[in-house]
Amino acid sequence: MPPESDDPAVTSGGRSDPAVGIRICGLNKSFDGPEGELVALAGIDLGVREGEFLCIVGPSGCGKTTLLRILAGLEPQFGGSVDFTVDTDGKPLQSMVFQEQGVFPWLTVLENAAYGLTVRHVPKDRCRAQARDYLRKLGLSAFEAAYPSQLSGGMRQRVNLARAFVNDPAVLLMDEPLGALDEQTKMLVQTDLLRLWEGSNKTVLFITHSLDEAIVLGDRVAVMSNRPGRIKTILEIDLPRPRDALELRNNERFLHLRRQVWDSLREEVVSLESDENRAPSPSGAPLS
Amino acid sequence: MRRIEKFLVVASPVGVFALWEILAYLGWIDVRILPPPSAVAITMVVMFGEEGLLDHTAATLLRFFVGMAVGVVPGVLIGLTMGIFRWFRAFTNPLVALFYPIPRIALFPLVLILVGINETSNVIMIALGPFFTMLISAMYSVLNIDRIYRDVAENFETGPRHLYTLVTLPAAMPTLMGGLRISVGLGLLGTVAVEFLVGESGLGHVIWNSWQVLSLQRSMAGLVVSAIVGFAVYLSMDLLERYLVPWQKKTAPV
Ligand SMILES: Nc1ncnc2c1ncn2[C@@H]1O[C@H](COP(=O)(O)OP(=O)(O)O)[C@@H](O)[C@H]1O
Ligand SMILES: [Mg+2]
Repeated sequence: MPPESDDPAVTSGGRSDPAVGIRICGLNKSFDGPEGELVALAGIDLGVREGEFLCIVGPSGCGKTTLLRILAGLEPQFGGSVDFTVDTDGKPLQSMVFQEQGVFPWLTVLENAAYGLTVRHVPKDRCRAQARDYLRKLGLSAFEAAYPSQLSGGMRQRVNLARAFVNDPAVLLMDEPLGALDEQTKMLVQTDLLRLWEGSNKTVLFITHSLDEAIVLGDRVAVMSNRPGRIKTILEIDLPRPRDALELRNNERFLHLRRQVWDSLREEVVSLESDENRAPSPSGAPLS
Repeated sequence: MRRIEKFLVVASPVGVFALWEILAYLGWIDVRILPPPSAVAITMVVMFGEEGLLDHTAATLLRFFVGMAVGVVPGVLIGLTMGIFRWFRAFTNPLVALFYPIPRIALFPLVLILVGINETSNVIMIALGPFFTMLISAMYSVLNIDRIYRDVAENFETGPRHLYTLVTLPAAMPTLMGGLRISVGLGLLGTVAVEFLVGESGLGHVIWNSWQVLSLQRSMAGLVVSAIVGFAVYLSMDLLERYLVPWQKKTAPV
């Protein structure tokens, strides 16, 4: 167990005295693969501040999803420790925003949005009222009776966000939720997400493979190394809020931060690429 | 459905009957072996009027629906349970593997000995095909549920009742509907088969009995009515599917 001062939330903190909401210490995870043991995560140390928006970027296969699934309680077996110290105030501890396919196709938009409350036996009227509130904020009011298959990808992903926000957890875990969207739609949903989050006090862990997205959204960006995954660096994103996903992209400071993150990530991607080029398989796709 | 498709749905059976009639009229088909549709239709009307064909049809439908219910309901329940609970699957799977491959008609003598020659044995024979079909499709419909839905349910701490009604059952529904379509065919087959063998009523009885006294037009009329019944039952599956799987028919706006 590392001493207190090694905690990244404390060592790289720029703010005054941020409380740690999730403390991850020496987290290890391996899988039994066809070629023996596969180490996915090797000693993740990370302190997530309460109420912050933390983005995690890293080369594909470095264990980002695995890390999030552990935090989401979907991988019960792992080494090391994960402590949630956020103040839940009677709310659920965490909810995950899955990828687009995670929306239930057999439930209507309204039923999907209310799912978390429904399974917690919240009275039906309140389920609906709260779900409708978020659907309105996300511009989905006209579609509450529609099934997900009738929606565009961007709308489906908004339903996914609504389902997590309506559940009103202290921590939101998001695994590349916007990865499948086209660039324009992505920016619109990012703006929606920022608006929802800025009006809440939720702690967010957001995984993405897009540097722009990480910088637009995050208070900090953590860069992970190649598998076995570790936290390589953490950068403060000192862009003012509220942010606008569209305008930020031409901002000087944004471009500077983008270069910094990329410099850190590039070494990992380059070494991953050269590994793959040595193998007989075609060279890996660039980290888009 | 596009208009051309709707046209073809009607045109294909009508075309077959028209061709059959014409070939019979031209003498290319021996009408003593294969009576033309017009003759069969006339016989059918006479039989509805004087020989209780309607009662036979009703008897067949009743047997079919009772047999389907007796087969489908436990088949679905046991199959879903097998899909959900690993230990139950381990216990029941060998039994299914043992009984499923036996040709069901070969079980008939055994069933007759066990319950006697009566309506119960008929229903059991009709139910066997749908039972195994629904059991197997229900089990696999659960086993093939996309992992992401289980993860979502788990992440939102879904209790057993909601897990069943909001996730497992609807996720399984499209596969179950496929199984039900096959079961309907097997159920009709089973119904006519038991009526051949022991029936004193029903369309199978009409077809078989008429054939034995070499009344081909009567036999043919019974066959046509049973085909119409099958056609109606099969089409009603579309309605049932629209009701049970309402999320599938709709298409995304482009
Ligand atoms: N259930 C599993 N069984 C075996 N290996 C797995 C499993 N889940 C992930 N892995 C492996 O662990 C590594 C990290 O995966 P993942 O966390 O999905 O990476 P990322 O999300 O960063 O792309 C990969 O090499 C992947 O193949
Ligand atoms: Mg991933």
